[in-house]
Amino acid sequence: MAVSTTAVTAAAAGMPGERRGEGRRPGETDGPVGGGSPLGSFIGHAVLTLLSLACVLPIGWMYATSLRRPSDVYATSPLPWPLSVGNYRHAAEVIPIGPMLFNTFAVAALTALGQLLTGLLAAYAFAAWRFPGQRPLYLLFVGTWLVPFQVTMVPNYTLLLRLGLLNTLAGVVIPTLCTALSVLLLRQHMESFPKELLEAARMDGRSSWSVLWTVVVPNLRPALAALGIVLFINAWNEYFWPAMVLQRANSMIQLGLRGFLGGTEGNDWGGLMAASGLACLPIFALYVLLQRHIVSAFIHSGLK
Amino acid sequence: MSRIQIDGLTKCFSKVTAVDRVSLDINHGDFLVLLGPSGCGKSTLLRMIAGLIEPSSGRVLLDGRDVTFTPPRERDMAMVFQSYALYPHLTVERNIGFPLRSRRRPRAEIREKVREAAELLELADLLDRRPRQLSGGQRQRVAVGRALVRDPGAFLMDEPLSNLDAKLRTATRGQLRALHHRLGSTIVYVTHDQVEAMTMATRVAVLNAGRLEQVGSPTEVYDRPASAFVADFLGAPPMNLLPVRAESHSGRVRLFAPGIEVALWEAGDFPARDIVMGVRPEHLVTVPTTAESPMFRGRVETVENLGSEEVAQCAVGDATLLVRGPRPLGLRPGEQVAVDAAADRLHMFDQASGHRLRWRAPDVSPSPPASLSPPSSSPPSSPRAVFASRSARPV
Ligand SMILES: Nc1ncnc2c1ncn2[C@@H]1O[C@H](COP(=O)(O)OP(=O)(O)OP(=O)(O)O)[C@@H](O)[C@H]1O
Ligand SMILES: [Mg+2]
Repeated sequence: MAVSTTAVTAAAAGMPGERRGEGRRPGETDGPVGGGSPLGSFIGHAVLTLLSLACVLPIGWMYATSLRRPSDVYATSPLPWPLSVGNYRHAAEVIPIGPMLFNTFAVAALTALGQLLTGLLAAYAFAAWRFPGQRPLYLLFVGTWLVPFQVTMVPNYTLLLRLGLLNTLAGVVIPTLCTALSVLLLRQHMESFPKELLEAARMDGRSSWSVLWTVVVPNLRPALAALGIVLFINAWNEYFWPAMVLQRANSMIQLGLRGFLGGTEGNDWGGLMAASGLACLPIFALYVLLQRHIVSAFIHSGLK
Repeated sequence: MSRIQIDGLTKCFSKVTAVDRVSLDINHGDFLVLLGPSGCGKSTLLRMIAGLIEPSSGRVLLDGRDVTFTPPRERDMAMVFQSYALYPHLTVERNIGFPLRSRRRPRAEIREKVREAAELLELADLLDRRPRQLSGGQRQRVAVGRALVRDPGAFLMDEPLSNLDAKLRTATRGQLRALHHRLGSTIVYVTHDQVEAMTMATRVAVLNAGRLEQVGSPTEVYDRPASAFVADFLGAPPMNLLPVRAESHSGRVRLFAPGIEVALWEAGDFPARDIVMGVRPEHLVTVPTTAESPMFRGRVETVENLGSEEVAQCAVGDATLLVRGPRPLGLRPGEQVAVDAAADRLHMFDQASGHRLRWRAPDVSPSPPASLSPPSSSPPSSPRAVFASRSARPV
């Protein structure tokens, strides 16, 4: 668990470096013209290189360890040799890795999509409409951010118990379907959305609902993708809440990873690294998939 | 084609009254230009006609039907925005077809109409581009195309030319005029550019601080401004407006101020009063300083070269008088100058209200003394309007 969180955080932290490299096109930088001497640029690149190494190293080590033979997991050579998938085979024997990954993926995807959808609708209402009580309502939304998880945990748990949703994946997903983060962020993006575009769509015969889907959403794609990946990673890394609701170790990958720690023979590093390595893959895949949008979300951050 | 009637339309934002009791009757096929300085409420008025904002009071009628609270999509009007508001994620073709897709028209029909509009506006080669790959003029044409495909009852345009350079603006003015001629649709067009108003409009409505100052054909508005504001707003350089005193002098109407001495028609006794006299720079002619009784005497301050013409700025008493004429005017800064104009080129306005004054001859009036009064069309709130008479003789 601990390793996987570090790995994912490292992956997330590694993004700015990549973004920077790919986002740069002539004339698209925001810095002052001629800002930066060759020396300054060299130092900058050196610092960035060190930072990216620091970010990449733990992940590299994790994969390196997972690919060693089970008998050499304590070896310290940077490259694993001879290669072996023994650790992976072992991990798959200890926990049902396939179903676990699938469950976790389903939970994270449903949570992220749900949060995007509720955030989108609420943000649209706040940004494009004027209604009485708008400000207090918005502040209440923001206020929910300040309520710690521990406060809502017990009431939510009791509610799930009464609804008979304990021990189900739905029970993990439903209480997290709305988050202030996505409302806040999307409202910010929509506020900077040109009002004339919405008016044009209304003149062109669209209803408010149709304006949202045909004009607002297509133009917010970069923001939605960036937010989506953040929400997905959050949900993917969630450990405590699923552990509480599911009460068994073999349903989600984050719970399964715990099985490798503190057994009778100490920690099972080989299995842990292999399972963690697999747990990181879906997030890498998602990032690769949405990367183009994320890069442009950070370059444009909204529409001009 | 639609007739749009506006009845006492008012819009108050929290502090300002952006549009104040405006009534207008826009006929089938009118090209009505809403003209006024920045912030006078033109866009607000247009948006109320479109249904994008609700008026605080008053009504909008479309072909006799009350549409004051009808949503835009049920009004059959199309709008061209100042920023063009093209959908950035759609190609030109899909931008133009957007209103038709909203109305769920069959695909073949959409393709046909988009093609027609694109041909008319010379956009046929650009159909696959996205808005950010277009120049300003091309974007403007796409925006017009998007309004056009729907064949709407009326077009509403909010300063559609203000982002174009001068040359393109002239060309596009011509195209819009031709389009209006061809379609014969009702167009309501907002601008603060008087040249656009003069060249394109069949009728001009001049707004000032939310209130309607005058409605009329471009010629009427230019030649017979209903108020000092309209006189000042139309024309470049604007009309000279000079405070003078009007009195009866040896049986004639006389206007005078330092450096100004104008003798007009014969009249009996009437009470003297302060008024504002207006005369357009191009209606002034210089006469030899030795001439007998020129209207204005002063000193030339600067002479501006406009290419084909020159504008001389002269100090007359405490006031400034602009004289415009073909180059060279033959004036040099520092010289003494005498200037004259034909009496029928003079305009008179009330000093307090700015309303145009008419001369009411004493013989027609039942009350004995003659007077300068605002015309009968001025609002009854002005106490002087009571003296207005239909038989007034225009100045
Ligand atoms: N949403 C609003 N809230 C408050 N005041 C507004 C709002 N919209 C416009 N106003 C005010 O109403 C007045 C008229 O605005 P409007 O946009 O109609 O002017 P305009 O004639 O179109 O000016 P311009 O030529 O600069 O576009 C202005 O004083 C403006 O500040
Ligand atoms: Mg405006």
